[in-house]
Amino acid sequence: MANRSQLGFQDASSPIMEELVQFHDHALMVALAICSLVLYLLTIMLTEKLSSSTVDAQEIELVWTILPAIVLIMLALPSLQILYMMDEINEPDLTLKAIGHQWYWSYEYTDFKDLMFDSYMIPTADLPLGHFRLLEVDHRVVVPMESPVRVIVTADDVLHSWAVPSLGVKTDAIPGRLNQTSFVANRPGVFYGQCSEICGANHSFMPIVVESAPLANFESWSSLLSSQ
Amino acid sequence: AGVVKAEDYTLPAYVDRRDVPLPEVAFVRELSAQQKALKEKEKAAWSALSTQEKVELYRIKFNETYAEMNKGTNEWKTILGGVLFFLGLTGVILIWQKHFMYGAIPHTFSEEWLSAQTKRMLDMRVNPVEGVSAQWDFDKNEWKK
Repeated sequence: MANRSQLGFQDASSPIMEELVQFHDHALMVALAICSLVLYLLTIMLTEKLSSSTVDAQEIELVWTILPAIVLIMLALPSLQILYMMDEINEPDLTLKAIGHQWYWSYEYTDFKDLMFDSYMIPTADLPLGHFRLLEVDHRVVVPMESPVRVIVTADDVLHSWAVPSLGVKTDAIPGRLNQTSFVANRPGVFYGQCSEICGANHSFMPIVVESAPLANFESWSSLLSSQ
Repeated sequence: AGVVKAEDYTLPAYVDRRDVPLPEVAFVRELSAQQKALKEKEKAAWSALSTQEKVELYRIKFNETYAEMNKGTNEWKTILGGVLFFLGLTGVILIWQKHFMYGAIPHTFSEEWLSAQTKRMLDMRVNPVEGVSAQWDFDKNEWKK
């Protein structure tokens, strides 16, 4: 989850998110360089230290075509690398289904057992002391850590979106359609997210909580829940 | 038709521009008798001209000096003043809203809740790489210096 007034990303908890953070830092530096250049040029133009009565501009035209092309390549290559990395075949150990409803998520783990449950937000009035307002749920999505997990996302009624920023996951939940995403949680922990597609009155009140735990803990949780 | 009478732009015209040091025509076209006499005097040795006469000749040829042309205005003060005024006005509106319109904030912002919440975040190792859990010294039980 984010700190109050946090501006930057949450710490990555999956390899893809680590890549995305690095790419973001790179792109931000490029943007900073360009903005600095523009601000500098603007300042010297406005303070009238730069003027021009050029009629022939072949050289500068060449420069300000080639240089932006190079900048674009510097952005496109890492971006495409990550894009393709996201689509790699990764042999998931677990498949889970996330179904969006108005206004809660339901999850199905039907690989080995018939485990299905709903995940509702805990209302602010019922929060135990120190718990996170608008983020806690009654049943978390438990996954084994360091294992590739496939998530099939869909919706029951209107558009929703299943998003967990620290895992680098955001996938739209569309009624009548199955969208697939995957992640690997590279550390144990609890990762929070919120519904990311406007879906009605309680769109802000249907969060997602993913808890990654060692395999033994995951197995005992799933046995406990599916026996109920 | 515009309000200002402007000459046909294809005719030679006078401009005060930094990058046009020698305008197409002189600034003053119709010379008075005194100015005509001065122009005659200009045809002789220039060392015979007084400073005042040289300035007069300059003013016949050119409207502004480079210094006059390049000097800035005080426009920035007006703009800055306007910007600050509207920022202040916005601030007043926001303060008024907070005081008269908005209700109480949720109870999860109390000191007690926030410290319990921070403790919970540390216990859960939220953001342990560069975030909050990385700024807490778990051995000494205090924030890292």
